[in-house]
Amino acid sequence: MTRLVTGADANHTYLGLPLHVRFKAVSILTGLALLVVLIGPFVLDPYTQSVLIRAFLLAITALTVDLLWGTTGILTFAQGAFFGIGAYAAGLMFTHVGYTVGTMMLALLAAIAVSMLVAAFVGWLAFWQGATPLYVAVVTLVLPIVVVQLIYSGGAFTGSSSGLVGFDAPSLSMSGWFWFTGTIMVLLTACAWVFIRSDYGRKLNAVRDNETRSRYLGIPTSNVKIILMMFMAALASLAGFIYACVGTIVAPEHADFVFGTELVIYVALGGRGTVLGPVIGTIGLEWASAYVSSILPFVWTIIIGAIFVVVIVVLPEGLLPPIWRALARRLPARLANTAKSKRATVFHPLVEIGAKSSTTSLTQPALSLTSVTKRYGHLQVLNGIDIQIMPGELVGIVGPNGAGKTTLMRCISDGMERSGGTIKVNGKSIDHKSPEGITALGLGRSFQNTSLFGSLRVSECLRLARYPHYKPSKIDTADRVGLPLAAMEVLESTGLQAQLQEQVNNLPHGMKRALELIMVLSLEPSVLLLDEPTAGLTKADRLMIGRILTDLQTRLGLAIVLIEHDFDFVKQVCSRLVVLHRGELILDGPVQEVVNSDLVQEIYSGHVE
Amino acid sequence: MLYLFLDIITTAAILFIVSSGLLIIFGVMKIINFAHGVFLTIGGYSSLVVTHFDWNPWFSMPLAFVVGCLLGSVIERTVLRFLYHRPLDAILATWGLGIVLGQLIIIGFGREVQFAAGPVSGAMELFGDFYSKYRLLLIIFSVLVAGAMWLLLKGTRIGLQTRAVIMNEPLARGLGINSSRVRLITFSFGAGLACLAGAFITPLSSVDPNMGLPWLVSAFMLVLVSGNSFLALASACIVLGGAQVLASTYISPVIGGLTLAVLAALLLRIRPKGFAYD
Amino acid sequence: MSIARRIVTLAGVVCLTVTTWAAASDPIVIGVPTGLSGANSTVAPAVVQSSELAVAEINESGGILGRQVRLEIADDGSGASGAQRAFDDLIINRNADVIISMETSAARNAGIPIVERNQVPYIYTSLYEGRSCSPYLFANGAVPEQMVGPIIDYFIDEKASKRFFLVGSDYAFGRGMLEFTRNYIEERGGEVVAEEYQPMNATDWTSIISQMRRNKPDAVIMSTAGGAPNVTLQRQYKAAGMQALVGNLSVDELTAQSMGADAEGIYISASYLTAIESDANTRFLERMETYFGSELLTPNDLSVPQYDAIYLYKAAVEMAGTTDTDAVIEALAKVSFDGPRGTVQMSAQRHAPLTMHLGRVQGDGSVEVVQIFKNVDPGEQCPTT
Repeated sequence: MTRLVTGADANHTYLGLPLHVRFKAVSILTGLALLVVLIGPFVLDPYTQSVLIRAFLLAITALTVDLLWGTTGILTFAQGAFFGIGAYAAGLMFTHVGYTVGTMMLALLAAIAVSMLVAAFVGWLAFWQGATPLYVAVVTLVLPIVVVQLIYSGGAFTGSSSGLVGFDAPSLSMSGWFWFTGTIMVLLTACAWVFIRSDYGRKLNAVRDNETRSRYLGIPTSNVKIILMMFMAALASLAGFIYACVGTIVAPEHADFVFGTELVIYVALGGRGTVLGPVIGTIGLEWASAYVSSILPFVWTIIIGAIFVVVIVVLPEGLLPPIWRALARRLPARLANTAKSKRATVFHPLVEIGAKSSTTSLTQPALSLTSVTKRYGHLQVLNGIDIQIMPGELVGIVGPNGAGKTTLMRCISDGMERSGGTIKVNGKSIDHKSPEGITALGLGRSFQNTSLFGSLRVSECLRLARYPHYKPSKIDTADRVGLPLAAMEVLESTGLQAQLQEQVNNLPHGMKRALELIMVLSLEPSVLLLDEPTAGLTKADRLMIGRILTDLQTRLGLAIVLIEHDFDFVKQVCSRLVVLHRGELILDGPVQEVVNSDLVQEIYSGHVE
Repeated sequence: MLYLFLDIITTAAILFIVSSGLLIIFGVMKIINFAHGVFLTIGGYSSLVVTHFDWNPWFSMPLAFVVGCLLGSVIERTVLRFLYHRPLDAILATWGLGIVLGQLIIIGFGREVQFAAGPVSGAMELFGDFYSKYRLLLIIFSVLVAGAMWLLLKGTRIGLQTRAVIMNEPLARGLGINSSRVRLITFSFGAGLACLAGAFITPLSSVDPNMGLPWLVSAFMLVLVSGNSFLALASACIVLGGAQVLASTYISPVIGGLTLAVLAALLLRIRPKGFAYD
Repeated sequence: MSIARRIVTLAGVVCLTVTTWAAASDPIVIGVPTGLSGANSTVAPAVVQSSELAVAEINESGGILGRQVRLEIADDGSGASGAQRAFDDLIINRNADVIISMETSAARNAGIPIVERNQVPYIYTSLYEGRSCSPYLFANGAVPEQMVGPIIDYFIDEKASKRFFLVGSDYAFGRGMLEFTRNYIEERGGEVVAEEYQPMNATDWTSIISQMRRNKPDAVIMSTAGGAPNVTLQRQYKAAGMQALVGNLSVDELTAQSMGADAEGIYISASYLTAIESDANTRFLERMETYFGSELLTPNDLSVPQYDAIYLYKAAVEMAGTTDTDAVIEALAKVSFDGPRGTVQMSAQRHAPLTMHLGRVQGDGSVEVVQIFKNVDPGEQCPTT
């Protein structure tokens, strides 16, 4: 399933610059923005200033929604609740204890701690292996409802529905608050902008685009999401805290789900995933609504609602990205060219990993299955599969459709899948490990339908594939990445190294398959699971893949398991063949024997020739 | 004790009626219709229209159903059709539509709380005390709705096609089933059912632009724990609805209001299939 | 006439014209932030109408201190964020000299810091849970000390009620009212058999009605949020065939009318009922009818205090001789106004003793005045005043 191209992708062209150039650009823009904030109080009337102060804080909160949803694909309605937690921390502390710098620091600490704890809990609840994005969205809808109910039930302590008012708080002049909130907003936006373009940002995009593939690259996606959620909760909470200090009132509406959905709407309209879009969009819409909604209270809501629906259906990238692109086209040619210069990632071969494979004992099976079963209700899909595969074996799994081949592969790579039996990779049992855990044991898997990250570039995919070895920077993109020799060879022999800046969506099918194989090899696995690796490939490509696989088997001693339908390929490459039929292992032996057996012919063609 | 039992059964019945429209849409299209609350409200306003024109109150139910079907088909053709491969965006689009429709209702009917006449009113004497007649009637309605759904799905051709699409859409299309048409019919039907539910619950309460909102989250959670089975939905309504009534009665109504959503979220975490038997 | 005289006369005429013109173009601005959208949007139009009538009448009779009055309305969205915007807009952009409004408590609370910062007097005209205090805030709406007494006294004295069941929505007003009610009942020797709350937007009262069944109270006191919760509770109560006396602290006359048969027999307590028999009220209703014609929204306990408040402000400015805030605030605690609700004076810790009317809703939706309680004291609302 491919994603639609978003504004972030359109701006990809600006990514390829070296770090110091990018930092210069960001610094200049940030400086300009700060200048605008500085002169604000001198040119704007007090009413507009007060509207903008609140808008800045909402923009920070919208930023957190964008990082969660636009960048990482987590649709959340809960950021409003974290904003409310921050606001109420301030309100409660200042009302019941009083305001001093000390109590303020304490309240801020409490706000951040509580929101991070709640976020961790919500994350645990929402980001588990089988969770659908729908479930996540609904859980994030329930949180604000619970928070608001707690506020209502708090009686005089929380102010219930009336909120808390009349507490002392830091007192700054209107200009003071304007500069303070404006500066924080600009700085956070700049940081976020740099962040989403870093390798870590790419990692989040990968999780958004293809969570499964990310896990199979060893990325612990659930943990990544939970941590992100915790940090975003802390930020939203900070914004709420400041909001309470500015207005000296907190009310349940600052935490409810209507607020949460408003934020999502702002992000959608501004341009999800672009950071600048949501921030500018929020400020603009808040400013506009302050003026328009007093004139036409009902009509404003309808207008926004209608524009929102139109944007979702027709312009999912948001309103601002098309405008930017139109503006970018008018840039003077020289500027545009500098911006477009793509900085290539240099991939260099690592030290030969043959050394690694020698630590794998030659007497211990690389992959061992004992009595593996899989049931769907009463339907038995796999029935007592026993296989031992040694390092250096290239085993083919064949069988008619529905025999259970892909299911078997799934059971090997995901510890939660099987209904019974034991599976060991290099002697270690997989128990109920998640895909990322099993990847760490030395397993690499490719999918029947090539599973990649559509909106990323080839170089970015490869950087990601080396994830455990190269901690992704949160500011920068790596310009040198080492690939194992095997991966390098495939990279060169398929000609992919000439297309490193190409977006994956634009690659031809054969190249995508090659890329997937390279990514899997980059994990330096000792066991490879390949699901129909030659499907859709040309004859020449098939030969090449065959050579590569044989090479991996003999030179590096990998254990390779293939699911295949192409018997010619199987005869060329495999040393051993296993036949599955109706969930049972009916034949296991050398290729020639199995291919020519009567049983196989009968299963495949229904009769013996 | 009898009253507690009746409370639980009638609450489960109401929840079932309110959620069934959402379930059929979720089962076939795998999206949650966030405009569900607005459809409930529209059903309520259909009852209001009937009262306004002094027609027979029983007429509000078929009227609500028809209005819902029409509105649902318009929405499906103009908006949802483009969003099937983007389920999260479909949620947002239906939410946006809900906002727009809600505002239109306010403009059209005003924001006050209004009353629609119910077909049956008053209390029935039961073992020495009284119980609302209409609530008891709703038990019968919910059984009728469940029965009708069962008949439609199991006994008609379109029902068979729908079940095929629910189970495996690509395969169904490969067999020549026009899944696009099935989706249109399903969404219209689901919307009609939601409006009908709104008309059903109106005599119990009142008609105002936000009347659908409190049911929204409960309906979502019930549908998520039911997968695509009406039987699972019925079980979920009884168990979770019962928990809600018990919590409201013995702990506090505030906790009770949260019980359904929180229990459902936790249940899904522990048993992802929810109440569905797979 | 000599030329000098002519010049002086001319100068005098010019001065007079200029000052009159200046006075006419330097109006006193009354800012009214109210819930045109949001939860209060059903009552806000009536509040606006009261305001418009008061301002029109005042301008017809020469304005305040010779200056015309201009009314500025803003939407506070019935909540805190909207109120912040509305108050800022009215005070900063539209130069309001005073804020007079009926709003939700959250909105009022959001506005208080703003009026304090800008030093603008604020008259809050809604009935509410009481105890909101600020040097700039006055309230002329009823508080629990005034609303609860009439009903409870009547139930205990005239109807021999002993067992009371309290039910409300879980929010500040609901809890505030019922807490006071419980204390009052117990002081008077009655028994509170249960005190139950539902979340604010709840419309399903089944479990609470079952509890009522179990407890068999003599009277039920309801303090639920306005709109759907209030109405659904009443409806389901009737549908369940419950027989106990009902005192409803949240329903106003208009809503009771629209409820029809479901509202028959319930008791309400209000500082204003259209059935009040006084010359002032009769004239008020006539003028409202004349001014608004077919668009008239029935005046009620939430909109009439607004009318009173505008006149109270007029009196205060006239007593102070200026719109200067400190002087006006001092005067607001002293002035009084004879209006449709009788004599109103915000002399009790910035709140007003009010004549409360106990009404019983009839089958046709009208309200029969059962008993009148004169000058009920609001109690200790802002003791440090």
